Amino acid sequence: MSKKSMWSVKFSTASLVLIPAAVGINYIGKLFAGVLKLPLWLDSIGTMLASMLAGPVIGALSGAINNIIYGLTMDPISFVYAVTSIAIGITIGILAYKGLIKNILSAVLCGIIAAFVAAVVSTPINIAFWGGQTGNIWGDGLFAILVAKKFPLWIASFLDELVVDIPDKAATLIVSYIIFKGLPKSLTNLYDNKNEIEQL
Amino acid sequence: MKSLSLYQERDSIIHEIEPINKLLYILTTILIMIIVPSIKCAVLCMIISLMLLLKANVIKKVLPIINFSFIILISIIIIQGLFNINNKTVLFNIGKIKFYKEGMMYSALIVIRVINILCAFALLVLTTKPSDLIEDLVRRGLSPKIGYVLSSVLQIIPQMTSTMGTIMDAQRSRGLETEGKLINRIKAFFPLIGPVVMNSLIATRERAMALEIRAFSSKNKKTFLNETKSTKLDSSLKYIFIAAVILSIIWRAAIWTK
Amino acid sequence: MDKIVVENLKYKYPLTDKLVLNDISFKIEKGQFIGIIGQNGAGKSTLCQAITGLVPLFFKGAYGGRVLVDGIEVAKSNISDISLKVGMVFQNPFTQVTGSKLTVYEEVAFGLENIGLNREEMKNRIDEALNLLGIYRFKDRNPFDLSGGQMQRLAIAGIIAMQPDVIILDEPTSQLDPQGSEEVFKAVWDLKKRGITIIMVEHKMEKIAEYSDKVLLMHDGKVIDFDTPEKIFSRDDLMQYGVIEPAYTRICKAFDIKDSGLYPVTLDRACEMVVKYNEHN
Repeated sequence: MSKKSMWSVKFSTASLVLIPAAVGINYIGKLFAGVLKLPLWLDSIGTMLASMLAGPVIGALSGAINNIIYGLTMDPISFVYAVTSIAIGITIGILAYKGLIKNILSAVLCGIIAAFVAAVVSTPINIAFWGGQTGNIWGDGLFAILVAKKFPLWIASFLDELVVDIPDKAATLIVSYIIFKGLPKSLTNLYDNKNEIEQL
Repeated sequence: MKSLSLYQERDSIIHEIEPINKLLYILTTILIMIIVPSIKCAVLCMIISLMLLLKANVIKKVLPIINFSFIILISIIIIQGLFNINNKTVLFNIGKIKFYKEGMMYSALIVIRVINILCAFALLVLTTKPSDLIEDLVRRGLSPKIGYVLSSVLQIIPQMTSTMGTIMDAQRSRGLETEGKLINRIKAFFPLIGPVVMNSLIATRERAMALEIRAFSSKNKKTFLNETKSTKLDSSLKYIFIAAVILSIIWRAAIWTK
Repeated sequence: MDKIVVENLKYKYPLTDKLVLNDISFKIEKGQFIGIIGQNGAGKSTLCQAITGLVPLFFKGAYGGRVLVDGIEVAKSNISDISLKVGMVFQNPFTQVTGSKLTVYEEVAFGLENIGLNREEMKNRIDEALNLLGIYRFKDRNPFDLSGGQMQRLAIAGIIAMQPDVIILDEPTSQLDPQGSEEVFKAVWDLKKRGITIIMVEHKMEKIAEYSDKVLLMHDGKVIDFDTPEKIFSRDDLMQYGVIEPAYTRICKAFDIKDSGLYPVTLDRACEMVVKYNEHN
């Protein structure tokens, strides 16, 4: 089956309406994780689903718009982390397009890859904004220990972000993968078709 | 139903300024802080922002916004005060714990910078309806499709949260445990999130069709139901921003030549 | 001239093997009310989407034959242009609220802004559409605060404002309570009286029988019959197509009350014929 190029930037209406849904799902994930007092954020389920359904460009756009809207309506700092959300969207989009997310185990591995990418992108922002911290108790605890032991700032900051991201992104991708598998064909086909009409 | 927003309805000149100019204000503030990275300059910018917030009669609403970053700011002061790599001079101590001057100064700059940016953003988000901001951007050339996506997110989130309560109650009444051991709470996550996510994704198919039927992909030049209001102040503001940036460059030069 | 002409229409959704529309042909005259019936999976919704151009322009897939609206071939046009001629209302009122507008009034403007109408004309059309659907008094409300029936009428208003000559309704009341359904049916009948061509997919057979000039019976992607409601509901093989005739027709079939071979399909006609039947015996 010949697929559309994964980097196609001609947005179909179907993929555009996926974005608000993705942002809403991110928000719901974060809320339920909070209500259940889970030790994870789970706030990028929608972004990952958008990437898996409609590719890296729509995934990245979902991530960016997610943070812009948070920034406008809740916490302005979230604007700068749009870069991180974009990176997660692109990473998962590529991994899904290459067919690498095919069972729970591979979802865990791909989640870890996404966590690394997220940490690489977030670290400079964390250093510029917060002197290297993330605001997460476990991560910042590790950060304090490393800084006290005279580790370079960027290593301390990178590990601060990474210890939090690995379990979170792995768990998020597992959840997204299970939901993705349960979606009806009439929906997934909307994004997965050749962009031309066949003559009967 | 309420749309998602921090907007505060007030009658002030700040409210009437075009959204684009408030965006430019944020940009100018950030630019000036990059050009002149000193506490003095940051404090000056903050005073200006606070005065404008006062003028807009929304100053009390700034605290909740800063609150979001409060814990991380406190922890930055503590960690930098204790462990900053340049720490030499003890500023004060609590029992055996020593706080150093260098780390405290460094964290003070971070804190003021963050609060500064938050205040500039607050000026935008507290005095502008998000829908007005988006429409203003679309008029100025933002793709109407991206404009649609942005404004529909603002309505979809409150709508999804309102269904959240219903789902919680429904699943609890079926005996779902949402409290207690961690493993139970993890198990509860799927039955809670599953239905909302499935429904909202499946609904996108019909919504996409409904938009198409209403000429969403039309090649015609879009028109607007609402008229624009532009004040006299709006046209001069851009020059004020440019002047402010030039002044800050002169300030920076003055620091160098000292 | 025929308003809509469908010729040898065939269609498969992408990545599927089954023909959901299998060699369909029929014609619709201007101002007619056409009911489409058949069981789930018969291809009713897909046929509606083919008349609006959503099939194949939105869904892609494999397509054969032609659909002409006012002599223009939809598959060679684009959906925005067709939307000025053919409007469509879907099942779920929620999914038809665009979600980007804060008031009912602005919501109706959505399509008009997209086609680039000037402000005066826009306001005239919105006022007219809201009044016609009886929801003008909600014009400043948030669309999501309306009841299901009101929201569905808002969806119709959004379509009416585009001033199409044909409106397709795909099970517009399936997700509404009885009161909401009645509101929508009344609105649809008002549209028909204004000379708009209506195509409606509906499972409530009493409504189909009452409103339709002609009924299209579909099964498994094919047109089984296309005729007056009396002829369609007088067929004795409806069960095998998953269709149950209106209650009045069923009763008259049980008593074999008919007139020149046809059973009545509406309450009034059934009463009339029962009275005549009683006098006769």
